[in-house]
Amino acid sequence: MNVEVDLTARESTPRWLAYGAPVFTVLAALAVSALVLLVVDVSPVDAYSMMFYQTITTQIGAAQTLITTVPLVLAGLAVYLPLKAGLFNIGAEGQLVIGALAGTWVGLNVSLPGYALVPLMFVVAGLAGGFLAAIPAWLRARYDVNEIITSLLLSFVALEILSYVVRGPMRGSSGNFPQTAQLPAAARIPELFMRVHVGLFVALLVVAAVSLLMRRSRLGFEITFMGSNDAAAVQAGMSRIKVYLLVFVLGGAFAGMGGISEIAGVQGRLRAGFEPGYGFTAIPIALLGRNSAVQVLLASLFFALLFTGGTNMEIFLGIPAALVEVIQALIILFLITGEFFKRYRIDVSVERGSVTPDTAGGDA
Amino acid sequence: MAGFLAGLLDATVAAATVFILAGLGELISERAGVLNLGVEGMMLGGALGGFAVTVVTNSPWIGLAAGVLVGMALALIHAFLCITLKANQVISGVMLTLLGTGLTTFYGSDWVGERIDGFAEVPVPLVGQYLVEIPVLGEALFRNTPTDYLALALVPLTWYLLNRTNLGLELISVGEDPEMADTMGVSVFKLRYLAVVFGGGFAGAAGAHLSLALVGNWSNGMTAGQGWIAVALVIFAQWRATRILLGAYLFGMLSALELRSQGLSVSLGPDAPLAGVLNPIIEFLLNTQIMSTYPYLATILVLSYAVIRSNSDRLAVPSALLEPYSRETD
Repeated sequence: MNVEVDLTARESTPRWLAYGAPVFTVLAALAVSALVLLVVDVSPVDAYSMMFYQTITTQIGAAQTLITTVPLVLAGLAVYLPLKAGLFNIGAEGQLVIGALAGTWVGLNVSLPGYALVPLMFVVAGLAGGFLAAIPAWLRARYDVNEIITSLLLSFVALEILSYVVRGPMRGSSGNFPQTAQLPAAARIPELFMRVHVGLFVALLVVAAVSLLMRRSRLGFEITFMGSNDAAAVQAGMSRIKVYLLVFVLGGAFAGMGGISEIAGVQGRLRAGFEPGYGFTAIPIALLGRNSAVQVLLASLFFALLFTGGTNMEIFLGIPAALVEVIQALIILFLITGEFFKRYRIDVSVERGSVTPDTAGGDA
Repeated sequence: MAGFLAGLLDATVAAATVFILAGLGELISERAGVLNLGVEGMMLGGALGGFAVTVVTNSPWIGLAAGVLVGMALALIHAFLCITLKANQVISGVMLTLLGTGLTTFYGSDWVGERIDGFAEVPVPLVGQYLVEIPVLGEALFRNTPTDYLALALVPLTWYLLNRTNLGLELISVGEDPEMADTMGVSVFKLRYLAVVFGGGFAGAAGAHLSLALVGNWSNGMTAGQGWIAVALVIFAQWRATRILLGAYLFGMLSALELRSQGLSVSLGPDAPLAGVLNPIIEFLLNTQIMSTYPYLATILVLSYAVIRSNSDRLAVPSALLEPYSRETD
């Protein structure tokens, strides 16, 4: 008996598979994470009901999910835009942190009425994030230095700088904690309801703007073209430096705005480790939502739910929040597997009867 | 000053071992055509696995073996996704780093604060106990942990394997021109699997060295980006085993400098010219947090310099890196 497995590239992906794949992906990741939970003697049913059902069905849980979505979607777009141009920005974490730092500095040191101060903080945060992102983009476009490594290493630099300023130059006078003073009222983002702040509108506006940019503008076309074949794009007269800088700087600016919205909208002061690595979560978000800015938003909502639910699990069931990280990574790993089934058809045929070794080991 | 220098060199050798092991692993994987960005995660897995097993068995050697196995297991996932499923190597690698970070934080919290007798420093056999007495260099060169010696031995071994054996040449051919290798009867899939899993084992060993020999305990995220520096190191080394050694000492010295200079205070006397301007700058540059950024900044600078200097035909990047291989059947 001879079992033959044959891979054929699909010409088009069937509709049920295109929509079913993300759902199946998430379910498979949750199933494997259940094994992780069983190892530490926690019932996956309890954990998941706490994580999802009790988070969505309570007002506080739903509001917290929206609050967490803001930095996630902004950082997610910082990865999404370069991805469209064929680049990997895995330094959204640093861009977010440096934006939070620069924006907080403005909030603490500039006195202006709130309607002018808060927008100024967003602009400065965006500039800081954009500047940090410009370095890997320029090095890649000009000298072909790998942007994955440089953008990530700059994140570590940004995190150390944050740790430096809250211990040194920007340290608040009260208490011994490494943190800045409280932002004045004029530097706080107004609240909408239940601690959900206006930053949510900013995030939605950015999603709409990016969506328009990618679908309707010539620049969006250039970005997509560069992403699918950069040599052809350069042949067609497009500039690598322009496109690469644009996607990175815009993305970095969004991440920086996400950082300041977290400080001015939620926390009120800057401290080391003020967020649980939203900039790294941005990577799976952008991969999950890589087809459109709206999908990035949906993926951010889902990951915000994971974070909020993860905090609930930690408080009520004592499960380390690191599980959220595990689930995130598993989702993407299964998503990659799903991609394979979308691209290839697997035919397994079983032949009975005698097969000569020659054909059995054949080069099908 | 001589004491400081001796301490610095000693710490450099110990820190360089992490980069040598992780860099060689990455090199083997990349020479076969598979980029592994999961090194950081595999190192964390190796560090925790090695540490936990050492706590239980009391033997750092069994711990080291466990660390290697954890690295290999994680690399096997990467191999399956990138080679069999032809997934994007960048995405798979980054996600494995996130997975490794998450899993080790999740399971690692129980092991924080445990103590072990890790690898102790031993002098080189026979001549070591005399040579250790050499001022400045003695301690650094002739009294080290077994993993330091192991890493040093692996550099020529890897060079020999890659450049002087059939297996090595087949492995390189798979990374340069898989179609041709396939027609010559080399199994592309098998060799790539072998290279990726082997490379993961090296990363696991690097992590185990960190927790068993260099630090002697486990803390969450203890690799602190060293896996990524190892990836940069391979580019810096232009995919050559011998230059990995050079780069590892360079980056090792930067890490050591940061550790050794904590609490160091240098300042100009009040009468020195420009003391008022220069002293705050010196203080800023020697600040602990600011010094922590130097290895990362230096990596970016050195990497950029290496890439800019090498014109494209000298750059030895394996031609089929990042390209999944599939036999064309139609």
